Amino acid sequence: MTGMTEYIIVGAILFALGLVGFMSRRNLIVMFLSTELMFQGVVVNVVAMARHHGNLEGQAFAVFLLAIAAVEAGLALGMVVMLYRRRGTLDAEVWSAMRG
Amino acid sequence: MTATTTYLLYLVFALGGAGVYFLLPRAGRSMGRAGAIFGVAGVVGLITLLATQIAGPDTSFYFYLFATIAIVAATRVVTHPKPVYSALYFVLVVVAVAALLVLQGAEFAAVALIIVYAGAILVTYLFVIMLAKQRGSAVYDHRSREPFMAVVAGFVLMAAVAGRASDLPVVEKTEAISVQDTTQTESPAAASNSMAVGTLLMTKYVVAIEIAGVLLLVSMVGAIAMSRKKVPVEGMVTKPKPLGQAGREVAPF
Repeated sequence: MTGMTEYIIVGAILFALGLVGFMSRRNLIVMFLSTELMFQGVVVNVVAMARHHGNLEGQAFAVFLLAIAAVEAGLALGMVVMLYRRRGTLDAEVWSAMRG
Repeated sequence: MTATTTYLLYLVFALGGAGVYFLLPRAGRSMGRAGAIFGVAGVVGLITLLATQIAGPDTSFYFYLFATIAIVAATRVVTHPKPVYSALYFVLVVVAVAALLVLQGAEFAAVALIIVYAGAILVTYLFVIMLAKQRGSAVYDHRSREPFMAVVAGFVLMAAVAGRASDLPVVEKTEAISVQDTTQTESPAAASNSMAVGTLLMTKYVVAIEIAGVLLLVSMVGAIAMSRKKVPVEGMVTKPKPLGQAGREVAPF
């Protein structure tokens, strides 16, 4: 099946950039934006796999991924608002109680 | 992919990783120019490598265009010091990824991606960013946390996935392709990708769709329970509290 490898590589790059952002940024909102970036990489990969396998299961899975992304965004932003009210800052380092 | 191609790919990834490392916000002198040079070199190398070695000759020009847009915009999402700009660059990533999905014949997923991400999720993000706006630019947006280790971990993962990407086994076509075939025989005008995916979702995955709906409901209840606070009644006089204390007295749900 032609034309899958390049899509997998692009998906892997998007996922890795999201991972780098989640680990290195300190702003809570940007951290969650980075997880959304990882979702984008997964969607590209899943649809490429679906075409590789010649069926539609991957595209159906992409719809579920969208639902999960919406759930995650809602909960994460609710949490960010709550944390912001507690400390008045979006810095993730403020919450590092265990000093890891 | 041959072994040489794989090592060239790792080299390109190393260039891109150095670019992201220099572009990440840091204390002291900005290294953005060096980062931009490394990043452009990495992207150009990647596109060249994809075009000459990895992708087939019939790969569309639009694939390279939208892949470049997606990767550059994703880098800016991660590295931009202002969260509002990060969110706007993320919209660009979503549009480019939707274009990549259209190129793969997944129109329904592409349109849903635009509507749900660019339409709904990003508006919520921008709303929260505006709500929690700091005076001036915050110091934590200009410092990264362990940027070197983060870049190394991310790009090792990327190399591990992308280096093996061409070794996936070729599989036989499964029965789900028949969904597409039946729609094509029934009415050629309506035999679209949306109809095929919708048929699949409403027959084979109908229980999963219901569960996803319940999950959305649960998350809505959870978000409301987490972020609710006492709203003062009109006319009631409340002493304003300092910002750090404002959420402390909220009763548990």
